[in-house]
Amino acid sequence: MLAGLLYKIESTDPEILVEMCAGEGPDIPTLVAVWPRLEARTTPQRRIAVLAGSRRQRRRLETAALRAGWLTVGGSADEDDAVVLSRLVLSTETSAVLLGADHSPGGDEKRHLPDLTALVAAATRLRPELTVVLAGGAATYESQFAGLADARLARETAPDPVGLASGSGGPGATEPMVEKVVESKLVTKKALAEAEAARADNATMDASEDGGPAASSTGEAFEAEPEAFEPEPEAASELDTEVEGGVSGTVASAEPDPSVVAPAESQRAPVPLAFGVVESHAAPNHVLLAPDAEAGDPAGAALQQVLEGLRAFPNDSRLGVARSIASLAYVLDRSVEVVEIGLQGGLSSRSELIGPGHATVVTSYSCLAEASFAPANPSEEVIDGLMTWSTVPLDRHRTMDRLNDLRLLPWGEADGDGAIFRLAAAKAAFGRLVEATPELAEQPMPELLVASGGIFAALPPSVVALALADLVRRPGVSQLAIDQARLLGPLGVIEDEVERRRLMANLADDILMPLGGLVMPAGIRPGRSAGLLRLKGLPTSTEIELHPGSVQVVDLPPGRAARADFDFRDPVRLGKRGRHFSVDVGGGLSGLLVDLRDIPMRISDRPDSRRAALDTWQRGMWPDIDE
Amino acid sequence: MSAIESRAAADISPELARVAGRRVLVFSPTIRYQLGPGDRALVVAGDAVVPGMPILERTPDAELVDVGRLGIENGKSGKAGRGSGSSSGGGASLEPLWKEAAAEESRAMARRTSGGRTDRPSGPPKQERRRPPSPGKWWVGGGDRRGKPDKGKQAIRIGGTLLFESGGRWWAAAGERHQVVTSPVAGVVREARNAVEVIIEVAGSALPGAIAAGVPSRGYLDVPRLTDGELWASALDVGRAGAVVVAGSRVSAQAISRARAISIRGLIAGSVGEGELRDLEASELRQRASLAPALPFGLIALDGHSRRPLATPILALLAAMAGREVTIVTDPPLLVFDSPEVPLPELPPDWIRARSGPHAGREGRWLKSIGLYRFRSGIYLEAAVVRFADDTGTTTLPVTDLERFVF
Repeated sequence: MLAGLLYKIESTDPEILVEMCAGEGPDIPTLVAVWPRLEARTTPQRRIAVLAGSRRQRRRLETAALRAGWLTVGGSADEDDAVVLSRLVLSTETSAVLLGADHSPGGDEKRHLPDLTALVAAATRLRPELTVVLAGGAATYESQFAGLADARLARETAPDPVGLASGSGGPGATEPMVEKVVESKLVTKKALAEAEAARADNATMDASEDGGPAASSTGEAFEAEPEAFEPEPEAASELDTEVEGGVSGTVASAEPDPSVVAPAESQRAPVPLAFGVVESHAAPNHVLLAPDAEAGDPAGAALQQVLEGLRAFPNDSRLGVARSIASLAYVLDRSVEVVEIGLQGGLSSRSELIGPGHATVVTSYSCLAEASFAPANPSEEVIDGLMTWSTVPLDRHRTMDRLNDLRLLPWGEADGDGAIFRLAAAKAAFGRLVEATPELAEQPMPELLVASGGIFAALPPSVVALALADLVRRPGVSQLAIDQARLLGPLGVIEDEVERRRLMANLADDILMPLGGLVMPAGIRPGRSAGLLRLKGLPTSTEIELHPGSVQVVDLPPGRAARADFDFRDPVRLGKRGRHFSVDVGGGLSGLLVDLRDIPMRISDRPDSRRAALDTWQRGMWPDIDE
Repeated sequence: MSAIESRAAADISPELARVAGRRVLVFSPTIRYQLGPGDRALVVAGDAVVPGMPILERTPDAELVDVGRLGIENGKSGKAGRGSGSSSGGGASLEPLWKEAAAEESRAMARRTSGGRTDRPSGPPKQERRRPPSPGKWWVGGGDRRGKPDKGKQAIRIGGTLLFESGGRWWAAAGERHQVVTSPVAGVVREARNAVEVIIEVAGSALPGAIAAGVPSRGYLDVPRLTDGELWASALDVGRAGAVVVAGSRVSAQAISRARAISIRGLIAGSVGEGELRDLEASELRQRASLAPALPFGLIALDGHSRRPLATPILALLAAMAGREVTIVTDPPLLVFDSPEVPLPELPPDWIRARSGPHAGREGRWLKSIGLYRFRSGIYLEAAVVRFADDTGTTTLPVTDLERFVF
């Protein structure tokens, strides 16, 4: 693909190619061979078996595991017998086991823990490739797994069976994980200590009722380097120059990072990158000790962090999106939210500076395997969700078949009926993500809201803007954008925060395509008119009457900003409560959207009426739907 | 294979090379049998297997059994618990566990002497027969679990695998009923772990599918004449018992029920609906629960869930293999041919097939790539111009809706 691109450049503008080759004659195969690469991968879905002494505890643990992006199966000793629990653990589809208890287990859990630990320890003797996470009070049974490293070593030295191409386990299920037991224990003990500290902090915060900004759900906060980063226009081309020239002197690396793919065909030395990639592998572990399901803020965040590190590749592109958004929030000095929907799951992330004048970015995010637009083995709820957002009548069995086919061929039938179906699938996945992250829904409307993922990239921009407005129902004003080139993930793999921020500062305008401004007031009363909108700052002043229950679009091209004066008939909430508001809005491919529908959205439960309402809004934004 | 592939890749244009390749044949694939608590492998890694050879034993109704204390103390077995108390003083002072170990050992010895082994390491020394109990180990006992047997009736014994030890007592997943599963393919066992899995590297070639259901099954390949790309359920008669039948573009629930009733071993189709798969799964569960064992029945869909005809190169390949023994494997979905030598159809290098979209199933020749193109509903996608075999004109469609065949 790169070669094809370069040949196209050669045919259209050969001078650029000459510049890339530092003035020498362009040799495309050589250029392709020495082209520096940054590799990002989506972690495939992996399954964890969640075991606990009680149902209550199992649910808490499952919540943490789900939010860390795992597929879960679970059982509790008070409900299931040991055969059922063993079946979950011994299944080759299961990659890891989470056995947890309260920090100080009560009687209902405590009496089951010895048996559960024995069961898991026995299962790991049968499946030494299994990673075990002992959370909370279960960590006291760590000694049961003492002899496990030997069994694992024996298995690793034995000849490996040929891995299956597909089927039950998936790549993660059978993939042996590199482990350093001692290292992992060090790491996890540190995590435990952090969790304890977090617990103490929570207690303090509770006592003082501190009203400051909430800490991130995953506890991730980026502190600026002592020498504060300043976006430099010249620095923009630093990377480009190095990349294009094929030479670099900024990073002296004798051995390139494993994530940097050296071209196989070339005999030339690989060119070091101008940036480092995330290095620490998430899964050098065997038995991990983790905090209990209540530790952290919000509850379960500490365990979620451990589980996420266990699940994801070090260069996971989904987590890379979250990191890129954090950099973007710093660079733009705005609160930024992203919704990323993919085949293997979805991500919802929010980043903002901790306050005016601060350099610390607070990030909270959540990955969800169930937020895949085409989950494997879709449940009835998934089908219900999809049918809820569909604007065309769908037969239940046919919907199931189409969704399964979408998983088999994620890029198949992306036009016509297929596009309508894909939009419904994406919205349903988005809905699952919103439902699973209530703490994000409680936040104010972000100043920049970004849609990411291939399923959005293939849809018309105005439809994506409407999808964002349909599912992020918070009063406020926001700028909508889409990660059309899907670069947020790969750029997030760059480990150095300063480097990433510098790149973001230079590329933000190019990687994000503006969809338009969004104004979403709450508390609009039904009636003929909700008030008036006057748009100023354009060559011609525009005055529009606002109609309750509608999504009105005002033409405002990308790159243009305007001032919107709203005179509402009744008091509404738009940041604060009032009738008259004057806000700055930005343009985009779909213009300025004024969403006067209810918050939260109220649509009839009757399928026909609901479809009709959705179809009306959708046709307004997608006039060529029937072409 | 690699040589063929590289030659084929060299024959096609870079634009066509970007079309998704569909591998028609894979060689020496690896298949998996998932086991559960109570199930055991009857083979070990390195064993050569042939069709019909027992490879594993399932315990369908495995339940938790308190085995009691097991172990070796100064060379003697420990005190037996409730589950195996009656057998603690069995012959040669062996626990049932040790008896079974001895039986396993003798079976393995018999295999070795019969020459069925390929690269298995030499057997353990004799004194290792008395292995200490460990998770996954086969256990037989429980004669006294049903109380005193009636006069003249034999005590029912149960068997299964040990699960874990807690407080000095062992627990097992065991049951009265067991089902021996035979290998449907020839190959070499790559891994065998009680209660976990058996992995076999198949000797031969296989046609990959998209979905499989039922259980692995074997039969002769029957390729009847299809009407409009489909096989009517009424065409399935008892004359086809024991066959793996090519059913065309789509297989219905009625056809599946009928096929199972008349001992057809499997169906091959282009697509199968999720409803039919659920019906089949429920039916399988009912049959497993019944005491009368049913013949294995497998189903494989080569393309997916939505209706589309079988690809002509694949149909030609199946027609060429008609009458030979084939096996439907469910994990991963494969149609296995015993021989690696499969007659491959001759295809022009630019032969493509629409795998999705309104033209799904149509085949023709690639003409050119035209870059971004505005398709239905105003969607812009990378496009190609193709000429379908059944059409004199050209058609423009998204590249992502196309596939090419890779042999």
